[in-house]
Amino acid sequence: MALRVFGLNIIKNNRNILQNVGKTNGVPTNQGAAAALYATQVTVEAAPAAVQKQKVSKAMKSYLKRANEHDEFMKTQHLEFQIGKRHLANMMGADAETFTQEDINEAISYLFPSGLYDKKARPTMRTPDEVFPARKAAEFDETGRPFHSMFYTAKPNFFQLLHDIVEETNKLNDLEERMLRRGNKPDENQKLETAGFQLLPKEHLERVLVEQIADIEYQNFSNSMERLIASPYAYKSKAFIERFLKPLIDQSKQLEVPKPKIDEQGRQYITTYECLRKTARADVTVRLPGTGKITINGQDISYFSVEQSKEQLLFPLHFCDMLGKVDVEANVEGGGTSGQAGAIRWGIAMSLRSFVDQEMIESMRLAGLLTRDYRRRERKKFGQEGARRKYTWKKR
Amino acid sequence: MFRNQLGNLSRVSSQLQRISRVELMSTEVQPAESANSVINEFRTAVTSPGEHSALQLAKFYKIPAEEKKQIFAGGGLPKQYEQQIKTFTEACLMVRQPALELLNYIKNADLSKPAVRYVIYGDNGVGKTLTMAHVLHYGSLNDFLLVHVPWAPNWTKRPKESTNSSTQEGFIDLPFDAAAWLVHFKTQNAKLLQKLQLKTSKEYVWSKRESTPAGATLVELIEHGIARIKYATETTAALISELKLLSTGGQCKVLVAIDGFNAFFHPITRIFSDNKQLVTPDRITLTQPFLDITKYDWTNGICVLSVDKIAMTEGYMDSYMPRYLLGKTGFEHLDPFVPVHVTNYTDKEFLSCINYYMDRHWITKTQPGFEEQLKFMSNHNPYTLMQIVRGL
Amino acid sequence: MSVYPQHFVDPIINKSLQKEKAHELSHIPIKPALNVSTDSIFYGELKQKFTNYILKEGNSALARELLTKTFEIIKRTQIERLHLAKGDKGSIITDAETLLINAIENTRPLLHLSAIKRGGVKYQVPIPLTEKKSYFLAMKWILEAAREKERKVSLPEKLAWEILDAACGQGRVVKRKDDLHRLCESNRAYAHYRWS
Repeated sequence: MALRVFGLNIIKNNRNILQNVGKTNGVPTNQGAAAALYATQVTVEAAPAAVQKQKVSKAMKSYLKRANEHDEFMKTQHLEFQIGKRHLANMMGADAETFTQEDINEAISYLFPSGLYDKKARPTMRTPDEVFPARKAAEFDETGRPFHSMFYTAKPNFFQLLHDIVEETNKLNDLEERMLRRGNKPDENQKLETAGFQLLPKEHLERVLVEQIADIEYQNFSNSMERLIASPYAYKSKAFIERFLKPLIDQSKQLEVPKPKIDEQGRQYITTYECLRKTARADVTVRLPGTGKITINGQDISYFSVEQSKEQLLFPLHFCDMLGKVDVEANVEGGGTSGQAGAIRWGIAMSLRSFVDQEMIESMRLAGLLTRDYRRRERKKFGQEGARRKYTWKKR
Repeated sequence: MFRNQLGNLSRVSSQLQRISRVELMSTEVQPAESANSVINEFRTAVTSPGEHSALQLAKFYKIPAEEKKQIFAGGGLPKQYEQQIKTFTEACLMVRQPALELLNYIKNADLSKPAVRYVIYGDNGVGKTLTMAHVLHYGSLNDFLLVHVPWAPNWTKRPKESTNSSTQEGFIDLPFDAAAWLVHFKTQNAKLLQKLQLKTSKEYVWSKRESTPAGATLVELIEHGIARIKYATETTAALISELKLLSTGGQCKVLVAIDGFNAFFHPITRIFSDNKQLVTPDRITLTQPFLDITKYDWTNGICVLSVDKIAMTEGYMDSYMPRYLLGKTGFEHLDPFVPVHVTNYTDKEFLSCINYYMDRHWITKTQPGFEEQLKFMSNHNPYTLMQIVRGL
Repeated sequence: MSVYPQHFVDPIINKSLQKEKAHELSHIPIKPALNVSTDSIFYGELKQKFTNYILKEGNSALARELLTKTFEIIKRTQIERLHLAKGDKGSIITDAETLLINAIENTRPLLHLSAIKRGGVKYQVPIPLTEKKSYFLAMKWILEAAREKERKVSLPEKLAWEILDAACGQGRVVKRKDDLHRLCESNRAYAHYRWS
């Protein structure tokens, strides 16, 4: 758009350098391309300077007015932010020029301590760019003609995206047909790998498109994306697909495995503190090598009288083939039998990670031994008999 | 309190070491078992407990049906074990270290000296009663008169009927329990009583019309007690004092076996007097003769007693140590005694037990590693193992 | 309603099953294993399911105890039979879990009747059952038969009899299944109402 005033843009850039803190709503690098396609005309901070009056349509006029107001507003906001930052820096005895966003956060939490539970409810001070989200630039020219053919859908970017996806799919289908006729098969080696990826979540997609979309629309998007990915020649449009994929965290490498320590007898040991399950809490120490001795609060496994709890204790040990090879000591308090057994089970599993190979850790993870079970008793609700059950309905 | 107990234990254990050293030598001298007596790795053909030695350790031996019926008809084996015997169609006992130790002591004991008290102790379900059963079997085969109380807490916890004693003021009689015990005594020792023809030393006058003259056989005395339930308690007392006299006189040998002995010293019972007051065990007439026979003022006898957590009531089950379970009075009553600790299975015993169960079709799931699983689930405890295995 | 987010996946305990899905699940968080699941040798899925059906008011220790007692009684009777049998000892199964599985397989219905309204008239239409539902019905029937007893008889005792009966294809539960099948057979004329 030729409607920008460059001077202001420069100011904006300078400010960005000034506060070299990553914007939380900034798009990660691999979505940069998507952002470039659909969100180039995102921000408008400038009002068009010279517009011939007689040709300007009503829509454009009102838009220009709004844009001007917004620009003014943002300018004052930025100024106020700068002043506020300086004040803060003075109060904290720091240099205002090098006062970063992190310093601001620190200062705020120090000067305005808040006991509110939700972090969002606590006082903050952030750049106006973050606080006031970006707005779309004008989507029509001076005469009021929309640029985009799907302007009247009110979500042109989104529908354009759907359009593109279908186009890609059709292209791939044609390719497949042609290849089939020729007797060629898709290349197995180049197969698109999507195991570690996930489609962009709805909020993320909205940010990319600068449009609010409904749940069902997101559903349509994900359905058509899945159809595209399912195509045997999906690797041909890899670049397109990857713009809408988000890498997932590798679960097995997520938690760091602690290094075992050495005790007085020269045995390796690991202590896991805070093993929680229901209302029970346990500390579990696993020692290698051992003879399979299990000590719970100074007693042996007969501490648990219920058979199921004993089985639970032995579950991780038996699963890793460590039965009889390690010693287990546990201190447990609170909760009931099942909760205590669950807490110790988790503790043993977590500690055993240090003594088994990576493959076994992954296997334990898949068996659900390394996930903490944070289900709790559900509270009773008023007007109901219990957590879910309602009172028997009586007509009168 | 524990230091006190430890002191006593150490005093006794030094004595024991001396004995056991002698024993070790004697086992070495014994001839090797003949080939046909070994059936397989978990069974032995030696059915006489007197001949058991370290060679038969962790092996099962079979109690012949008549002997089992004679000794354990009135109790003496745990209920679940009886059930198991019925299912397996044979009564088998494992030869275990504590029983062997006890048998060694008994075999080498000098009977002319005052009676020695052996106290079997151990955690729940480790096999105290079965150790005692093993000793009882030995006793009955070696001409001991058995004075056996299958489970003493039965008298304090669930008596059949309680009446005020007619002879002793303020005491409580348990006539039915006494009669039941007399029947038990009779069946256990019927053959031996027939053989020895023991006579009473003095006349017992029960009432104006009834009396047992001096010189009557003990069988007559017992018969009278069973027939006249009212006098059963006094008959018991008379019988036991007679037995003490007779054995001191060298006419017979007596093996006293009382399971759950600490119940006699536990102040809480379920018996109430007429004015709704709790009756302590020392106010029960039936306990008197058995306390009397566990003293060391007589010879030609052996006392095998067991102390058990389950014999106590709720809140008194913290430890299985004799000092704790017997309390001060009980401990002083028995002091000095020989403690015999019964422990959980060793690995060898455990495998032998598993093999036996498999032999009797009791375990049918035999995937690799099942022994390991059972071992850790049961923590080598015999009773827990039994409980787990039954549902497989 | 679960406390875990929707993308969490149920745990897989069997190691061979894990291998198949390991690649797929490497980036997906897993729900924790339930406290009834183990990889113990003595774990049986059907056994566990049956325990859950015995369960009343969340007393799982009792439910387990009842099933254990049932198995004990079954084993005792079978071993007694084994000792009594003259020849042919191989045909007597002493494994209680196998017997339970046999009993359930023998009492599984294939069809059931469902009321469908056509033209103002309700027709009892035979409809095939899914595998899961048929297992459920079999277990439910066995339990119902066991719970219908005199007060003096304990549940494990009666349950053991029912299982032993059903395992050799006799008894009330098998009869109930046969009755249902017969009814379905006689109502086969209405079968087309399922889709028309």
